[in-house]
Amino acid sequence: MELRLCNHSSYPRIGDAAEHQLLRRTLTQRDKGEKTDDAVRAAQDRLTELALAEQAEAGLDLVTDGQIRWDDPVSHLAGKLSGVRVNGLLRYFDTNFYFRQPVVSGQPARTEPLLLSEFKFAQEKSSRAVKAVLTGPYTLARCSVEENAGAGGFDKILEAYTAALAAEVAALAAAGAKVIQVEEPALLKYPDDFARLEGSLTALARGKDSAQIVLALYFGDPGPLYDRLQTLPVDLLGLDCTYDPSLIDRVASTGAARTLVLGLVDGRNTRLEDPDAIARQLENVARSANLNLAYLSPSCGLEYLPRDRARQKLRHLAVIRNTFLGSPA
Amino acid sequence: MSRAKLLELGIELPLFPVTAVGSFPKPDFLLKARTDFAHGNIRRGALEKSERQATEFWIRQQEELGVDVLVDGEMYRGDMVAYFAENLDGFEEGGLVRSYGNRYYHKPIIISEVHWDEPITLEWWKYARGLTAKPLKAILTGPYTVMDWSFIEYYPDRRTACRALAHELRKEVEALIEEGAKIIQIDEPAISVRPEELPVAIEAMHILTDGLPGYFITHICYGAFQNIYPAMLELPVDNFDLEMSNSQLDMLDLLKKSPFTKDLSFGVVDVHTHLVEPEPEVEQRLRRALELLPKEAIWVDPDCGLKTRTAEEAIAKMQSVVTAAKTLRNDSGK
Repeated sequence: MELRLCNHSSYPRIGDAAEHQLLRRTLTQRDKGEKTDDAVRAAQDRLTELALAEQAEAGLDLVTDGQIRWDDPVSHLAGKLSGVRVNGLLRYFDTNFYFRQPVVSGQPARTEPLLLSEFKFAQEKSSRAVKAVLTGPYTLARCSVEENAGAGGFDKILEAYTAALAAEVAALAAAGAKVIQVEEPALLKYPDDFARLEGSLTALARGKDSAQIVLALYFGDPGPLYDRLQTLPVDLLGLDCTYDPSLIDRVASTGAARTLVLGLVDGRNTRLEDPDAIARQLENVARSANLNLAYLSPSCGLEYLPRDRARQKLRHLAVIRNTFLGSPA
Repeated sequence: MSRAKLLELGIELPLFPVTAVGSFPKPDFLLKARTDFAHGNIRRGALEKSERQATEFWIRQQEELGVDVLVDGEMYRGDMVAYFAENLDGFEEGGLVRSYGNRYYHKPIIISEVHWDEPITLEWWKYARGLTAKPLKAILTGPYTVMDWSFIEYYPDRRTACRALAHELRKEVEALIEEGAKIIQIDEPAISVRPEELPVAIEAMHILTDGLPGYFITHICYGAFQNIYPAMLELPVDNFDLEMSNSQLDMLDLLKKSPFTKDLSFGVVDVHTHLVEPEPEVEQRLRRALELLPKEAIWVDPDCGLKTRTAEEAIAKMQSVVTAAKTLRNDSGK
């Protein structure tokens, strides 16, 4: 089994070193009127380059732009759509990170590209293949609130978000994105909405052309949905394997109809995993599930870790792969 | 209702008692002192002098505004979890992580068994109490939130870490009560985010408070209350201090679905906006609380700590809170 290494999505945009404080400093100065928006963009560019370099140095095969420019996973996309304004802070799932909640007063619509320039910048600056990442329509809809029934209810909001992001997927694919990750952590909180997600993904994938779509599920255990996930119209399944240690055994015993991105490295705790134990799990998957290819990844975005520990986790992916390759497969 | 309990503790409060949630903004002179201390340019004694000066400033402000149950303003704290982690054995300071937007904090790492060695907040509580004759809340971050907002390297699982923290933080509560603290607030903003772990948080609160003579408040904010209500009422506290205004009082409908069996500190101003809500608007919000509870059970405060606002904004918001409470108090003839 070929084992590729990839980042999940976000990467810390701050660290203890002075150069890692650049964006925070510049934003503060901009808010005081001492710096311009151009200066903020330059700082974002610089921090994105640093994130790309650290991922490459760690030996990853597939990197992301680290979502350095994102205020949060929700308002960065929804806030750019017409018919939507962003409001107060809400906790993002069970993290101690907060997002600004979209308030939907009309039909959300894409009037401009959402991530295109960010992806192009990363692609231009990266020595490795870049995965585009976007928060999925279902999660955006779940994180939004409707104002005065102006959008026609949850399903209409989901439909509108799906249309907006389908256009973005098509634009990213046309710009050369080979892998596009759609993040839908909300499904694990609302598993009964599986059919809704399936419909949304089907529409989303229509414009992907030859790009591969990754469905990323995290902040919960995807195990109960594992069999049904194999039927979804996506190319890869990204699974958070940290909530239930037996999920990886399930993968080994039942195999997979999609290429798997195995989130075996905990993106939310600093404790480093035992590389021997994970290598054994991977060996079991390789032997039993008859997979030709899998990705090893953090379980979720790495922004929940301090920068030094996030970097350590990325390097740990390579340690685990080396252990796996050295093991008698 | 817990007015009887307060009276037993020797505390008589007016209707709609006004309090603050905990933190106030640090004055510029303290921010400079903290920066100087971090750069090694001043000694700890000089920093503490500035912290005491700032604490006195906020005590005076609260007295002048007419706040009924005061707080020390947390001038000596940075982050609400990191502060306790710095003062308990078993933690090391982690690097910066983001909380929202352009805000970051040092998330602690539990690297060995946690241990309470000596009082953490007590000296500050005693200092602030010496500055006022009014009741003064003692405030500490609860074990569930300290656990949830730390990385756990030492303990095998979250419940074990939470229980260990509860046992150690109880020693802080005992020290405060021994010194005379009667109203004790346990901040648990993380409690609503993993509904399946609510029993862990309830167990920890029992460890922290069972058998201790105090009026206990728990502050919870910015969470998915729909996932833990009404089960959260099993927390062994007298008063829930809830953020209500950031969500335009949406939570009222939820709280009406089941009898609210505790006192409620009702957040009537949003702390995440620079806008100072006009007094009539604050008053209207407070009147909505009467849809839920009798007036004897309602306290009034901002949604959350005011540390992210300017001093002027914080004072103006507190003024709105006090004015609204007084209006309703007058309407009630008391």
